[in-house]
Amino acid sequence: MNIITKVENIRNFSIIAHIDHGKSTIADRILELTEAISPRERREQILDNMDLEREKGITIKSKAVRLLYKSLHGQHYIFNLIDTPGHVDFSYEVSRSLAACEGALLVVDAAQGVQAQTIANVQMALENNLSIITVINKIDLPTADPEKVSKEIKNIKGLEDSPIFLASAKEGTGIREILEAIIQYIPYPRGSLSKPLQALIFDSVYNSYQGSIVYVRIVNGLVKPGMKILTMSNQKSYEVSEVGVFTPKRKRVEQLAVGEVGYLTAGFKDINLTKVGDTITNADYSAEQQLPGYKKVTPMVFCSFYPVENEDYQNLKYALEKLSLNDSAISYIPENSPALGFGFRCGFLGLLHMEIIQERLEREYKIQLIATTPSVLYRVHLKNKQIMEINNPSLLPEINVIDFIEEPFIVLTLISPGQFLGGIMELLQDRRGVFQNLEYLDKDRARLVYQMPLNEIMLDFYDRIKSLSKGYASIDYQIIGYQRSMLMKVDILVNQEVVDNLSFICHKDKAYERARKLVDNLKTVIPHQLFEVPIQARINNKIIARSTVKALKKNVLAKCYGGDITRKRKLLEKQKAGKRRMKRIGKVEIPQEAFMSILKID
Amino acid sequence: MNMSIRSIGLYIHIPFCFSKCPYCDFFSIVTTDEQLPRRYLTAIRRELEIYSQKIKESELLSIYIGGGTPTLLEGKQLEEILINCFRYFHIREGMEITVEGNPGTIDKEKVKILCQAGVNRISLGAQSFNDKVLKKIGRIHSKQDILNSYQWIREAGFNNVNLDIMFALPGQSKKDLEKTLWEAVQLKPEHISLYALSIEPGTPLAYLIEKGIIKLPSDDFSNELFSTAIDILSAYGYEHYEISNFALPGKRCIHNELYWKNQSYLGIGAGASSYIDGKRYQNYRDLSKYILLLDYGILPIAYQEILSLRERMAEKVILQLRMMDGLAKEDFQEQFKVPIEKIFYEPLQKLKEQGLLAEKETHYFLTRRGISLANNVFMEFLD
Repeated sequence: MNIITKVENIRNFSIIAHIDHGKSTIADRILELTEAISPRERREQILDNMDLEREKGITIKSKAVRLLYKSLHGQHYIFNLIDTPGHVDFSYEVSRSLAACEGALLVVDAAQGVQAQTIANVQMALENNLSIITVINKIDLPTADPEKVSKEIKNIKGLEDSPIFLASAKEGTGIREILEAIIQYIPYPRGSLSKPLQALIFDSVYNSYQGSIVYVRIVNGLVKPGMKILTMSNQKSYEVSEVGVFTPKRKRVEQLAVGEVGYLTAGFKDINLTKVGDTITNADYSAEQQLPGYKKVTPMVFCSFYPVENEDYQNLKYALEKLSLNDSAISYIPENSPALGFGFRCGFLGLLHMEIIQERLEREYKIQLIATTPSVLYRVHLKNKQIMEINNPSLLPEINVIDFIEEPFIVLTLISPGQFLGGIMELLQDRRGVFQNLEYLDKDRARLVYQMPLNEIMLDFYDRIKSLSKGYASIDYQIIGYQRSMLMKVDILVNQEVVDNLSFICHKDKAYERARKLVDNLKTVIPHQLFEVPIQARINNKIIARSTVKALKKNVLAKCYGGDITRKRKLLEKQKAGKRRMKRIGKVEIPQEAFMSILKID
Repeated sequence: MNMSIRSIGLYIHIPFCFSKCPYCDFFSIVTTDEQLPRRYLTAIRRELEIYSQKIKESELLSIYIGGGTPTLLEGKQLEEILINCFRYFHIREGMEITVEGNPGTIDKEKVKILCQAGVNRISLGAQSFNDKVLKKIGRIHSKQDILNSYQWIREAGFNNVNLDIMFALPGQSKKDLEKTLWEAVQLKPEHISLYALSIEPGTPLAYLIEKGIIKLPSDDFSNELFSTAIDILSAYGYEHYEISNFALPGKRCIHNELYWKNQSYLGIGAGASSYIDGKRYQNYRDLSKYILLLDYGILPIAYQEILSLRERMAEKVILQLRMMDGLAKEDFQEQFKVPIEKIFYEPLQKLKEQGLLAEKETHYFLTRRGISLANNVFMEFLD
């Protein structure tokens, strides 16, 4: 390996793409051509090693691989390929991965063309001053139209003059050209070996033996085992125990020097102290400044997880502890509900993040969960000038102490064929969206920008957009901060008792409609009890909607003769078992399934 | 199996029908194979013979030939079944012998033969006296068929007749039920079975309802119909003695009471069930298998279930509470050697508080509301 130490022969790059445009397949082909892996090890999407990643076809945790490439001119190069998560929820992680590179391969599907995340990714790459090489992938598809897609790309601001290559990762065509282009168009890392160490943390994984293993890009200086280092955001110091690279197998090296990408361990016991975006430097010879761009990631989407089986509570707790070791963006605090028992209020980066965690809990830890309706983090300005942050509607204080409430807003970018815009804009309007901009990418595809509350995309939004656009629209969003809204809390009472899990915060214009829908829905899912059950929706002691579950009048099996007895008994036993699984609110018994169906409805 | 019961009710299942009613999930088939009934009767004879060896000492308390449609068989064939019963078992003098029949499969001659063969009770599947309703629920007969059959039955000399009536039928009005009941009581049957139409999963009717093609009356309304029916039948002197059964004094169905009193019964025929010594048995429904096994002298038992003590106790309570007389505390004590309150204290208290169950010094019984909500009552006794 000594042949290549010159920084001029290093190229650090990422692959960025809209979901499903073939990022991981391109990565696989590059890995093969650089002979980083033998065909024996070939398995689709090598960099994604969580089952869930492979199944969903998306990359959740970014990885860095060191590749050796011998160019057509016979020169040896080190390529560091940094794989990034594709989804908007992880945009901060993406941005930090990009910050560790000098260039990016932008992969665009030759049939689908430019999509919302394509543009979001390009913007992020440009913000990090990356050189972009565009790869139009899947040119083998019968519907591929590389010429049209090329035009779309050239219309993106910042990509007017960037090079475009055609490829089919599936068939392995165009890959060699891409590798040569990387050498030609992506600059080698700048930086100085003699300056104090500056290493950017762009990812970390947790290992119970070694603590956090952090992925770093060395921006200045070098790092090797035995060195005393410091994480700059919190001034904690450690001693480096191991440095290495991924080939993609983990492999120790003697040192990581300026321009290089790899991992280091230093007995980091707490993942929360080695956050993505932070800078590592020498403990006794510190860099003057942290590398730019570090921010603390805060959860924006919250929901409660309850185990379906009460006895799974401890397992759930253990599983959340485990998962959060690897994912500092998850937060969780215990809570309990009269209807659902003991559970946790959990915070996530976004909806997909939430879904992934939920699936991992169910799949890897075999815990059946009830997840409540997701909510955002509200900022409640109290009359006494204090600001209260609330992620659970039931915690909202009484109205007389509240001055006003703020909620997070997003800028939503949507790309869709023009013919669907009418329906989509109607939906966005209905979701309190404020129109910002509309421009056409080509004669039939438009890019639409709206500002709207994050809360409005929590429920049944992606599915609606998908169906309105027959699956053609793509969405990306960015949180832009908090804005004041006319929000109110609606309480739901079943048989005169407030059911915490059903309370919701919503805009005043929508309170009545949502309340009406919910009480009507509850009426259909709450089984008839032996007595009449009123269901009410209440804002500040005022009932705004009401429905009634009438008392059970008839539940009797007409016939019961010799041949029926066993069967009828089993039927009754089944009814009884169903009753036993019911959750109680006061005297009212509600089946768990009913609860779940309500919690899922907006 | 080793059987030591003294007395037992005998049920014989005839699984043939002229056509399948869309609401029915009883085991029956429509066949064009003329040889099949013949072979089936032979199999029944064999099964009777095998059991007669096992319960030699016991005495029959009642015989009930049900279906299906037993009257789809020839009069002579039904007679043959009874002759075999008499041949193989001890018979209690003057016991109740019922045959179920459907209007449209009964004629003058047939009922005469039945009467002469020793049948002393006929249960007639009338269901409704409204031709439109009959058609809608898929019955093959008309109101006139009911009246004709009934007349022939009386003429043949039967003095114990039951009419099956259904209510809570799709589109049925209160007036319609009142009219049907009025016409029924004009005939002065000794017994009336009154069933709410129940939707059994897998039946064509269940499908039609699920698809929204047919709408059932609401629970509220069918409960109202039920109350009306109880009032009318009481007014005509019928005693409401079981959830769905009404009788003139002294004319309760002895055979069916065995079921509700949790006593032993032997079920013969394909799909038939038996309850003997705290065990339940069920025969294969598959006719070919049923016949084949008996050809080789093997009992065609598909499965058996041994009830736990707790299950026996619960069944006892549940079945007995179906009867309006209710459950005699002494009866429970005698059978299980423990007072009922010791086993079921909590459910009994809860149900009394809910007003579904009432207590006399000697009995527990369902209240009027408890009858309508009988499942909620019964459930409390199950694990």
